[in-house]
Amino acid sequence: MTCVADSAAEARIDQSLVARALLGDDRRAFEQLVRRHQGMVRAQLCRLLHGDEAAADDLAQETFLLAWRKLDQFRSDARFSTWLHRIAYSCFLQTCRTKSWAARHAQDDAMEHLPAPAHAMDLQLDLARAMQHLSTAEQAVLLHCVQLELSHEEAAYVLEMPLGTVKTHATRGKAKLKTWLSAWHEAAGEERVR
Amino acid sequence: MNPIDDDDVDTLLRQSFDGPTPDAGFSDRVMQQLPPRRLRSAWPLAAGVLVGAVLCALSLFNSPLWRAAWHGLRVGERSTSTMIVLSTMAGMSLLALAWTLAEADDH
Repeated sequence: MTCVADSAAEARIDQSLVARALLGDDRRAFEQLVRRHQGMVRAQLCRLLHGDEAAADDLAQETFLLAWRKLDQFRSDARFSTWLHRIAYSCFLQTCRTKSWAARHAQDDAMEHLPAPAHAMDLQLDLARAMQHLSTAEQAVLLHCVQLELSHEEAAYVLEMPLGTVKTHATRGKAKLKTWLSAWHEAAGEERVR
Repeated sequence: MNPIDDDDVDTLLRQSFDGPTPDAGFSDRVMQQLPPRRLRSAWPLAAGVLVGAVLCALSLFNSPLWRAAWHGLRVGERSTSTMIVLSTMAGMSLLALAWTLAEADDH
């Protein structure tokens, strides 16, 4: 309940800052919006770009410049943070289509598909490896729904996917992770027994 | 050993997420790059309203309905044409009011 109230209060603050930035052409209000949301937007992009912080920062900067230009198109039917995540995700898709990042990432992917080390690794590393083997859509849905803590509806808005598709990707992604991590779990259990 | 369930997967995913990235001068860099906002000039709207009003007046001026309504208004007579013109004006005003309220609500 407190969490919902906090979220509503945060949304009201964002709305008033947007109104100030729009009506009074107040750059300080927009600066506050940047400071409030840059952390999550950069974290989102960093995850989408598989840890490429420099590329994530470039895209985050592009995201905020676009948000500044399109601020009058923001409608309060979505939270400001969700709207920013949507712009960031569009920028990410645009970059994947046009720039060399996707080609570079393809090389990284080839590295990822090398055989896994025989010894049991730390669970977090296994999770990161398992995430890489999910489809792009499943990774994106789990990132937004679980790690960025958006609702399914908000994730559908950000990813421009039908709500049913988001729910399906979330369920399938978790089921795959459970299967892969269960193998690790059992192996870890056997090692403990020995 | 208990099998992994959905909550465990959620917890592991959340634990593997580092959370918001520290600012480290990012916001300042964005603000330095921010272009001046292009103010939407008001003259096209004003010109459109003026041209529309002039065209409307010209087309109504020769209309017998408008003449009859104007005559009715001057002599204080509630004729059909007077009522039609007044109802149209009231309807247009209400539409403009509803549009303004909807726009204000969006912002």
